[in-house]
Amino acid sequence: MLAEKYSSEIESILAKYPDDRKRSAVLPLMYLAQCEYGSVTLEAMIEIADLLDIDVTQVASLIGFYTLLWDRPGGKYRIQICTDLPCALQGAEEFAHQLCEKLGIQLGGTTPDGMISVEGVMCLAACNGAPMFQVQGPDGIQYHERQTVESALALIDELRKRDDSG
Amino acid sequence: MTKSLVTLTIDGIEVSVPEGTLIVDAAKKVGIDIPVFCYHPKLHPVGMCRMCLVEIGRPARDRSTGEPIFDEDGQQVIHFGPNLETSCTTPVGEGWVIRVNSEKAREGRKQIVEYLLTSHPLDCPICDKGGECPLQNLTMEHGPGTSRFLFDEKIDLDKHVPLGELIFLDRERCIQCARCVRFQEEVVDDPVLGFTNRGRRLEIITSSDPGFDSYFSGNTTDICPVGALTTADFRFGARPWELNRAASICPHCPVGCNLTLNTRREARAEGRDVIKRVMPRQNEHVNEIWICDKGRFAHHFASSIERLTKPMVRVNGDLVQVGWDEALVRATEGLKDALGRSKGGLVGIAGGRASNEDLYVFRRFIEGLDGHTVLDDNLAGGDLTREMGVGRGTDLGQIGPGDVILVIASDLHEEAPIWWLRLKQAVERGAELIVANARATRLDRYAAHIIRYPYRRAVQTALGLLHAVTKRADLSPFVGDKSLQKVAKLFMKAENAIIFYGREGLDYKASEALAQACASLLTSTDHVGRANNGLIAVWPRVNTQGAWDMGLQPIPSGLGEILEQASAVYVMASDPVADDASLETLLREDTFLVVQELFMTPTAELADVVFPARSFIEREGTYTSGEHRVQRFYPAVLPLGGTKSDWRIVTSLANAMGIELNFPSAAAVMLAIAESVPNYSDLTYQALTIAESQWPHVGGESLYFGGNAFKNSQGLGVQVGPAAEPGEPSEVALTMPVEESEEDGLLLVPITRLYDRGTTVLPSKVLHPRLERLHIELNPKDASHLGVIDGAQVEFRMNGKRFQLPARLVATVPEGIALMPRSLGVSVVNPIPVQISSVE
Ligand code: SF4
Ligand code: SF4
Ligand code: FES
Ligand code: FES
Repeated sequence: MLAEKYSSEIESILAKYPDDRKRSAVLPLMYLAQCEYGSVTLEAMIEIADLLDIDVTQVASLIGFYTLLWDRPGGKYRIQICTDLPCALQGAEEFAHQLCEKLGIQLGGTTPDGMISVEGVMCLAACNGAPMFQVQGPDGIQYHERQTVESALALIDELRKRDDSG
Repeated sequence: MTKSLVTLTIDGIEVSVPEGTLIVDAAKKVGIDIPVFCYHPKLHPVGMCRMCLVEIGRPARDRSTGEPIFDEDGQQVIHFGPNLETSCTTPVGEGWVIRVNSEKAREGRKQIVEYLLTSHPLDCPICDKGGECPLQNLTMEHGPGTSRFLFDEKIDLDKHVPLGELIFLDRERCIQCARCVRFQEEVVDDPVLGFTNRGRRLEIITSSDPGFDSYFSGNTTDICPVGALTTADFRFGARPWELNRAASICPHCPVGCNLTLNTRREARAEGRDVIKRVMPRQNEHVNEIWICDKGRFAHHFASSIERLTKPMVRVNGDLVQVGWDEALVRATEGLKDALGRSKGGLVGIAGGRASNEDLYVFRRFIEGLDGHTVLDDNLAGGDLTREMGVGRGTDLGQIGPGDVILVIASDLHEEAPIWWLRLKQAVERGAELIVANARATRLDRYAAHIIRYPYRRAVQTALGLLHAVTKRADLSPFVGDKSLQKVAKLFMKAENAIIFYGREGLDYKASEALAQACASLLTSTDHVGRANNGLIAVWPRVNTQGAWDMGLQPIPSGLGEILEQASAVYVMASDPVADDASLETLLREDTFLVVQELFMTPTAELADVVFPARSFIEREGTYTSGEHRVQRFYPAVLPLGGTKSDWRIVTSLANAMGIELNFPSAAAVMLAIAESVPNYSDLTYQALTIAESQWPHVGGESLYFGGNAFKNSQGLGVQVGPAAEPGEPSEVALTMPVEESEEDGLLLVPITRLYDRGTTVLPSKVLHPRLERLHIELNPKDASHLGVIDGAQVEFRMNGKRFQLPARLVATVPEGIALMPRSLGVSVVNPIPVQISSVE
């Protein structure tokens, strides 16, 4: 249960919204759940729905709308490559394809060690830095612009090492 | 609050509509059809699909002065913008000129259709909606004949996604209009459908448990403009153009929702007509264009193979099938013989499932034999609802600001779902709702005031309110707290007021006292005899009000005593033994028992003669709704061989026994009713078929606009006024409640659940996964005292019998109370104290 472990965080999130607009807290609470479990589990959705007095469907429907949220488990680090039109014109699709090939996974898949998932997402508002991706992991979100397959692989190595040592 | 009128021109036709009217509706009013997909006149506009594009011209104005500009001919200059605009989100403006069928607008819509079709499967030949599909029709009208898109690039999506057991989603067909999502959220407040993902991958989901958990889910299949949502009951069942239709009335609750029964002859049924689906039929005074899922899916009982099809008589202790003549002779002789014996007379028991015609001839017959009629029901007050009722012209759809509604001792969401919906909407229009019950119910959410009383103190609460209004000295023992005073004030101030009372936690006598207190509250605040004012009972059956109006009523002390006296008992559309097994011995003894029924019920099993009756789909008749609207239902299928309408069985027998009851038709019975029941005096079958045109337009040509509900052309019914003459002294006698002594143990209280396991529900297999299971509900605190955990077995004794069943722990059950949903297997007629213990 989130409520036990994060009661003060939840409280401070809820405090930001008036009582009759509690539902506005749904995104921060989902993000909290995702940081804890790696994805927003059904149990977490039910808990959030109860906290905010909305239906669990209303929580679940947001997950697919936001590329920041997942309802199923994936790698510890999620590499989200923008494949939207401007980036695609700069070769983002090819970049994604090659990176996945090097990692031995399909786009949307996760490496066997459970460390890295790669997926294509819509515009991340860094079109001028294509090809680009963001990494989501336990320590938040970082942007990486003007990437090559090599630079991306180097980053992945570093992420894996970081995990070994931590 | 009349809104000022705005005048504009739509395709050359000048029209004046109230300010705020949307262009799409204004056009519809003058017969110009602007195609829509996402817009629906019962939902808030969202402008998502762009199908309703039109050219809008606005009067040009001088920028510096704001004055209108005129050309040299003195004509006002109209300025058309460069873009098409959505007519479903744009309210009308003075002097505007709208072009719906201009080349530019048609081209715009053509492009939208082409776009919608880029990923549509176009599997019309196997689609349930084909033949009555807005997308199909609008494509024929506006769409291009061919596609410019590559077939190979079409995205394939899942075609059989169960959104729960009742509704299926075909993802490929969905055009993402969100009508279903918005209906669930805005109209019925069950937001259990949502959109997830985006673009082509957008998908309708439900995460509720069970899936698509809503009593109103079937309505989404009517308003879905494509075949994306279908019901488990109808999908792949028939093509719409093969279906015949008959107007009907839902037989399940006192709302009396208007239905259309779609039928088809089927080889599988040996060439007989069968019901393929039940659809709402528009009646804006009753159910608008909605019905609940019980009305939609619980129709299979009427065509169940368990139905009785032959008369039966008892031979050597067994019931054996015989012909009608023989059965009538046996019934006649048996009745004569029994009545000739010295012991008491004839008792006729009828239920509120029977039509007015049945009940009227039933009473004439029983009384013709000097017998006594009894209505088998345990809610009182029908005399008050008959005399006072609601004023003529009452329409829950018109209740709004300044009006007050009180609901006491009833759980409308379970007992009469469409009333629940109508009251929710009244609140949204500005009415104030007061909900009084011993526990929380789904209606509380919309209440301006919630009155919580302990079970068994409903009457005291109502009398407390009455005291706050009248300050009658004899009511001072019931003085309530401040909140009651507040509610009383609201009531006095109210422009219109209606009270709905039910029977939760009450026995018959208490419900009588409650009805009186409520009636008195209405008379003393002057809320009677006018439209939108008065008293409504939440009857357990569709036609209980009609039964009272036809002159039947229950016996306050129950059936036991009178049956003990009886030498002959005649039962129509009622199953008293199922509710009270102790009646079995009384009926078994040397009482001559005749039963008219659909099924071999526990009562019928005891009978000496059983007559097979027709179900509501096989015959005509009228029901009187709780709002006192008399409505006709029509035969939809040929009757099962060997069955007769209840009223005809009664008249045949009456004539055989020398009582003159000759009616050639149900319509003729209605004429006799009109002669003898004062407030029914202007009723005829013709009058009941009058159907004024209604807004919004639905079905037929307008199905893209209002959905697939059927347009009502067979009659809106007639609301009969109170039986009491206006101005008649309206002093209501009050019965003071008896204080019940506190007893040990828990008070076992029967409650109603929509999906029970009664004989009219159980034959509908499609509903089985949703039917309530036998259980008892306890407050978690009581349960922990008893050492009972959720789901554990408990036992108790009642009337000398032991019962064992699982317990469910529910926080809204008041302490000291155990709730028992009705018709699940254990019959509890009145609240009764029991000792509950856990089963090791
Ligand atoms: S399922 Fe039907 S009603 Fe719902 S969004 Fe899709 S097309 Fe519209
Ligand atoms: S609300 Fe009542 S009358 Fe209407 S469909 Fe449901 S059960 Fe039938
Ligand atoms: S299109 Fe890739 S960041 Fe905008
Ligand atoms: S945008 Fe107007 S009907 Fe959809």
